Amino acid sequence: MNGLWRRRLWRALLSVGALAVLYGIASEIGSALLPRRIWMVAHYLEDVELLPPYRSLLEETVFLIQSGILPRSVLVSTARVFEGLALGAAVGVPLGLSMARAARLECLLDPWVTFFRFTPALALLPLYALWFGLGELSKILLIATAVAVVTLLGAYQGVRDVPRVYLEAAKSLGASKGLILRKIVWPAALPQIFSSLRIALGLAWVTVVVAELIKATMPSLGYLLALAGAYPRVPTIAVGIVTIGLLVLACDAVALGCYAVATRWMKRSPAHA
Amino acid sequence: MRPAEAARPPKARRVWLGLASVVALVAAYTLLSNAYRVVDPSLLPDPIRGVLRPQILPPTQRIFDAFVQLVGAGASPVGGAYVHTGDHIGGLVEQRVTLQGSLLISTYRVLIGIAVGGSLGVLAGLLMGWSRAVDEYAHPIYILFRSIPPLALITYVMLWLGHGTAHVLLPIIYAVFTVVVIPTYHGVRDVADIYVKAARALGAGGRLLLSRVVLPAAGPFVLSGLRYALIIAWMTTVGVEMLMADEGIGYLLIGGGMWSSRLEVAGDPAVIVVGIVALALVGYAMDAGVRVAGDRLTEWVKR
Amino acid sequence: MPDPRRRRLEIRDVTHVYEGKTATRALDGVSLDVFENEFLAIVGPVGSGKTTLVRIVAGFLTPSSGVVLWDGAPVAGPSPERGYVFQEEAIFPWMTVRDNLQFGLLAQGVPASEREKIVAELVTLIGLEGYERAYPKELSGGMSKMVEVARVLATDPAILLLDEPFGLLDAQTRSKMQDQLSRLWEEKRKTVILVTHDIEEAIYLADRVVVFTPRPGRVQAEVVVDLPRPRSLETRFSPAFLELKRSIWKEIGRA
Repeated sequence: MNGLWRRRLWRALLSVGALAVLYGIASEIGSALLPRRIWMVAHYLEDVELLPPYRSLLEETVFLIQSGILPRSVLVSTARVFEGLALGAAVGVPLGLSMARAARLECLLDPWVTFFRFTPALALLPLYALWFGLGELSKILLIATAVAVVTLLGAYQGVRDVPRVYLEAAKSLGASKGLILRKIVWPAALPQIFSSLRIALGLAWVTVVVAELIKATMPSLGYLLALAGAYPRVPTIAVGIVTIGLLVLACDAVALGCYAVATRWMKRSPAHA
Repeated sequence: MRPAEAARPPKARRVWLGLASVVALVAAYTLLSNAYRVVDPSLLPDPIRGVLRPQILPPTQRIFDAFVQLVGAGASPVGGAYVHTGDHIGGLVEQRVTLQGSLLISTYRVLIGIAVGGSLGVLAGLLMGWSRAVDEYAHPIYILFRSIPPLALITYVMLWLGHGTAHVLLPIIYAVFTVVVIPTYHGVRDVADIYVKAARALGAGGRLLLSRVVLPAAGPFVLSGLRYALIIAWMTTVGVEMLMADEGIGYLLIGGGMWSSRLEVAGDPAVIVVGIVALALVGYAMDAGVRVAGDRLTEWVKR
Repeated sequence: MPDPRRRRLEIRDVTHVYEGKTATRALDGVSLDVFENEFLAIVGPVGSGKTTLVRIVAGFLTPSSGVVLWDGAPVAGPSPERGYVFQEEAIFPWMTVRDNLQFGLLAQGVPASEREKIVAELVTLIGLEGYERAYPKELSGGMSKMVEVARVLATDPAILLLDEPFGLLDAQTRSKMQDQLSRLWEEKRKTVILVTHDIEEAIYLADRVVVFTPRPGRVQAEVVVDLPRPRSLETRFSPAFLELKRSIWKEIGRA
């Protein structure tokens, strides 16, 4: 088992390392061969490094960190993601739970849930911008909407999938409705709620980047990309993209960790890693 | 194990309740959005006065008018180049941007994304699920790329591909690709595995194994992956179109402008609501299509 | 014939039909009495309505017609008074062994110190010392079934309804579980209804075996098991045991 993991890790490092080296070579060759003048819509863009070599990426990273632009952008975007996640889950999870437990509520809400499920959250951006302005509120509400739909469906399905035998066992042991909800339904549905939260977190990042690209009033990662794209400064774009990627990766790892802790009681087939 | 099928009301009652809830909410909205005609808004306390304006809550009949105008926009006598009127619907009508035309273009983009990204994703998932070596080398790279939101790539991709068709399609293809890989991968690795072993023991191999065992066994997973991919494809398409396309439903929603100045055109909530409802309906229809087709393709699955 | 023992459960002419696209008649006019401290086994082929009958006694199902009286009062809904052990795995996988065992006590508002005492007793009784904080995934199938039995015993029910409790276990574990259940019963002397399709299991554990017909289920025969207690491996090979087995098989063959 241990040797298996060591081989996996070794191969992972090897392939990621190979990719990094390949990029290094490509960028060195590219900086000599690729055009630095690019025709774009109506005019030439000057001095574009299509494949910035590691040197410029490093310089750019150092500059963005030292100037405080990158740390501040990361902070602002991450805060938006988590505020939206908290708000959306606070609405979605209880709604999903009660929909699964109350048949009449389910019938009443069903058409609306279906409606929001197939409405791309991003399409709401112009409406939210109109209602709540272009500031912080509309961005957070947009993320919250995307998160609420996903977590609602997760919580609903989680409760629906609780095996009937657990509910009957609890009932025959004399458990009240409240106790069944707290000790049976909630823990049994928790794994699905956590996996829906993980998906929602990914969606939240997608949403925040677009919301920030379209209109940003503060330094943020999407704004950084938009600004760098307008000049254009490829090293800045690259650093921005990599930063977002790493943040998404880190968030996903944390979500996966939470999931593992919340489901440590579950039987796991050895194939799953 | 049997899931907890709580006492659900019969289907007729469910439909009736759902319909009642839609009708009730639309009626309530109609009353609320028309309140400004009856009550002088300036007499109302501040937060309510802010909300009960037709610029914020478009009256239901205005939404319907917008729908009619957008559907008929193609036949409008004036046409030609975009004139910045600062008026959402006026601008769209002048450019002959119709609702159905925009939906068609967006649907086309979504379908291209599903076709190209989906096949690449299924291929990658098959390879990774089939071969442990491929999995161990390629999976980490896949995870790195999956972490990058497709729309974050837009500014960079534009430099390579210019401002054109490929540039709009690439993020959609990319998004679909990343979504389809994992379900296919799990279907092949965790589900098909035992049947592959059984088929091998029976002497099957090569193309027979792939077409008769692996693909059918992984099929239901691929299909559920595709259904999720549809949602993601629509989301990405709308995002790209809002950011930089000159046509499509995302463009209709945002009403012109360019790049980060796009939202400076004062949006017309009636147009936006029409666009959103149309999106939801098309999304639902496409999902239903995949679901029905999928059920027929995988009839053997116990449900 | 008047019975000197106290009658606890009376099943009177119970019929049950599952409604659906095709209505299925599972039980057809079943009448049965269960007495204080009696171990009753119901055997019958798959689909003979045995499970339906105990689910009705437990209160999960309402019979289409007929009545079930518990101590003279009609059964209405599940109650901890009638403890139920499921055929499926019903141990709560997200709770430790200890939390599983005390769940019924918690539901009845038993104070914590009392709960701890009862749990400690039960853990010793089923021989799971040291596993109190383990999750069910760490237990074998037999062990977790025993926890389910003990979880029901914790609330001290007046009757124990066992619905093919060992049906999912392998043969060796099964017989071990049967021994353990037999010992448990000697100690607690509860009223028990055991549903099983395993005739040996029924004879080995019960005082009386009721044989059901194939669908729809009816009482076909009753066999009194007068084997001495405590029973052991020797019991299984005694001539009396084999004679009982033969007579029950004969009854089944006649159906």
